[in-house]
Amino acid sequence: MVAHLLRLRLDLLVGSIRGGGRANAVIGLVLLVVVTTVTCAGVLSLADAEPERAQALIILGGSVLVLGCMLGPIVLGIADPLDPRRFGVFGLSPRALTPALALAGLISIPVLALLALLVCVVIVWHAHGVALPVAILAAALGLITCVLSARCSHVVGTLVFRPRHSRELSGVFVLILLIVVVPAGVFVASLQWRDAVPEPLAGLVTALAFTPWGAAWTLPAAVATGSGWFVGAIAVLTAGLLWAAWTVLVAMATTRTERPTHAGEHAGLGWFALLPGTPAGAIAARSLVYGLRDRRYLVNLVIVPVAAALVAVPLLVAGVPAEFVALLPVPIVALFLGWLPHNDVAYDSTAVWMHIAGGVRGVADRVGRLAPILLVGIPLLAIVVPVSAALHGDWSVTPALVGIAASLFLSALGLSSIASAVAPYAVARPGDSPFQQPQRHGSSGVLAQGLVMVGAIVVSLPVLLLSWQSITGEAVLLSSALSLSALWTGLGTGVGVLIVGVIVGGWAFNRRGDRIMEFAETA
Amino acid sequence: MALPRDDHGITVGAVEERFTPDALPPKPPLPLSVVPPRPPLPPDVEIPPVPPLPASAVVDHPITDDPITDDPITDDPITDDPITDDPTTDEPDLADVPVSGEPVADESDVDAVVAEESAPEAIVEPVPEPAGTALALRGVVKQFGDTRAVDGIDLTIPTGAFYGIVGPNGAGKTTTLSMIAGLLTPDRGSIRVGGHDARTESARVKRMLGVLPDRLRTFDRLTGRQLLYYYGVLRGLKPVVVETRIVDLARAFDLTDSLGRPVSDYSAGMTKKVMLAGAMIHSPRVLVLDEPFEAVDPVSSDVILEILTDYVSHGGTVVLSSHSIGLIERVCTQVAVLVGGQVLAEGDVDEVRGELSLEQRFFQLAGGLVDVEGVEWLHTFSD
Repeated sequence: MVAHLLRLRLDLLVGSIRGGGRANAVIGLVLLVVVTTVTCAGVLSLADAEPERAQALIILGGSVLVLGCMLGPIVLGIADPLDPRRFGVFGLSPRALTPALALAGLISIPVLALLALLVCVVIVWHAHGVALPVAILAAALGLITCVLSARCSHVVGTLVFRPRHSRELSGVFVLILLIVVVPAGVFVASLQWRDAVPEPLAGLVTALAFTPWGAAWTLPAAVATGSGWFVGAIAVLTAGLLWAAWTVLVAMATTRTERPTHAGEHAGLGWFALLPGTPAGAIAARSLVYGLRDRRYLVNLVIVPVAAALVAVPLLVAGVPAEFVALLPVPIVALFLGWLPHNDVAYDSTAVWMHIAGGVRGVADRVGRLAPILLVGIPLLAIVVPVSAALHGDWSVTPALVGIAASLFLSALGLSSIASAVAPYAVARPGDSPFQQPQRHGSSGVLAQGLVMVGAIVVSLPVLLLSWQSITGEAVLLSSALSLSALWTGLGTGVGVLIVGVIVGGWAFNRRGDRIMEFAETA
Repeated sequence: MALPRDDHGITVGAVEERFTPDALPPKPPLPLSVVPPRPPLPPDVEIPPVPPLPASAVVDHPITDDPITDDPITDDPITDDPITDDPTTDEPDLADVPVSGEPVADESDVDAVVAEESAPEAIVEPVPEPAGTALALRGVVKQFGDTRAVDGIDLTIPTGAFYGIVGPNGAGKTTTLSMIAGLLTPDRGSIRVGGHDARTESARVKRMLGVLPDRLRTFDRLTGRQLLYYYGVLRGLKPVVVETRIVDLARAFDLTDSLGRPVSDYSAGMTKKVMLAGAMIHSPRVLVLDEPFEAVDPVSSDVILEILTDYVSHGGTVVLSSHSIGLIERVCTQVAVLVGGQVLAEGDVDEVRGELSLEQRFFQLAGGLVDVEGVEWLHTFSD
């Protein structure tokens, strides 16, 4: 049966390549080849590096690789061609199926790339004087860990996430990944690599060495220092545990039937299926559909980087030190992001009648409308804050920056929630060009715009002052304490103003329903 | 207990008498079960999912078999009127709701819309509200700038009525219906729905209403399915209930094939249908429909009519406006003629039209045809 399954897997692989017209598949393949080549070249260049540095990088890279194998299939939601569930109908014994499917899992393009990488790693280890059998054993353990992780992750993905898996969910996963990966990447890249392994990384590497993620990659170095048995045991145990998990998962997948109602449910609802079925959840889903599809919202988003650049460039020209200018984008981006939804109701035009006639509670309306800006804003800030800190050159300002960002972003959101219920002003209608200026009767909206901006800055003043003191302060201890207090003050201010804003805005929305309707019909 | 007990007894007796099995003509299975029978429940209680319809029912139903002409509706309000039951049974807080002291002795009397039997009233209301009133407008005024769109309207719409509002362009029909729907607040006067004041108990009143506005946008970037889901969940229904009802409504309104497309791609008539389906999804007590048949094709409008008729026969109330007087005459049990923001005539269709046809009567009330002058240049052609 093993031979059968391997043949099947091979045929599937060839078929998927030969399928023809799969532009995406071809592009993906080319990208994979390029990335693999570059990575292999990078790994091979470590052969000349100092042993510690090479070791640290291999452990770090290997750990990230294993983590990627564990999360990738779930996050991307790719269909597994050899999904164990498909073999459920043949009545094969799990004892035979489990190893056969695991072996067949070795035949895939990503695993080929992984193999190439591992060969390079073995070469590097050998160049650093590791005995070839040890190096090959370690690489094999790494390979087994990666492949089994990926296989298990695939099955978990289909068992748990498939019923709800959708483009939207993948998007959210990718965003979450972005929030984690980008700051970490910026942090690692900004470290001083010139002389030796940077201080913060050295600790991380030592810690990783004794975890399931890093153990296999640590093995050659550990053998040299004498702790080989211990690390080897961890690596073998990891592989064994993954094998046990794989056995259980295959048994589950082949013997369990999914509830048939689950597949049809939520079909075609997109974001609505993903978010809770409450008024607030539905409004959030609707806002997301609009926010991501309607050009009027997208154009607004473009303002944010433009504003940041507009402020930064003149200051640089005027001779303000670059390390201070580098910090400016954080408050500006946070403020503008929070300010964006201050006229959200107007964008609904007369369709807002559904909320009013439906008797939607104001708070639910307010909360739901914040969903898209939170979904965009938090990842954006997660990128801007570390980049700013890296450009500034001193990571100790990070807590203060997070505090500033939280305070400005969240309190502007809170004030926007009030403004959009109390003082909406006319905007381009749905379907019109976002640049078309509407006829405006009465309020031009300047007041609302200004008040939200100024208000957010005013309530954030304490945080800004604290941060300023911590950044310009001389004493290191004091400034880091100030930085931390700025973080907590900022979070407190932001969350507080947001809650108050949502409640007051909700109350106003309930009270002013008819006036919002009159506004919508005349605008 | 606002109703005298013996009155209640009479009513129930009448019900039993009416509904002996042989007294009822065998009813053909209609595709009308979309709207489940109105149970006398508080509106937030979950209503069991609707049974699926026969797929072919919409098509088979011949147009000639119009259930409206043989008007069974007039009999119904007493029998399964949920709102009359409310104060007596499960809503003790309504004990102060003004209910006319007159027992509803004779069934035919109930339909007389302007049943002006006065009874001593609560201080708030100058005019009494007869038992079984779904909707009561008293002295409602709405002013936009200098123009009085609605100028002191009194309307009393009994439960189970199929109520039409007709009027020339700009007569204030849409404004009136918007105020009923809670989208606008009257400058003066009061609106009561099922005995609840729309101003002070707006959340409760809004739950009882299903609304189809005219010329207001909807969230048309959503697909049909998403839009209906949105309607249902905004009304506080559970997602599972919403999804089963979407299937039923889509079948009844012949939208099943279009549910996956964005509503912005729909034709005007289909948009109307999907919005009407959305207005019904929470099975409201009163449907407020502004021009429900505009741009809807004849077959669909017949299906909609059947759904509405069945809804009414199970105790629901429909208030609709239309330009099409013929349709109103054919469908509605009661009618109000609105001209210049005022009600010029109100009551049973027969009462209002008198000897004339409703259209002739309408022209009489609305001022009729004016001799068109001043466009004589149109009589010669410029090319």
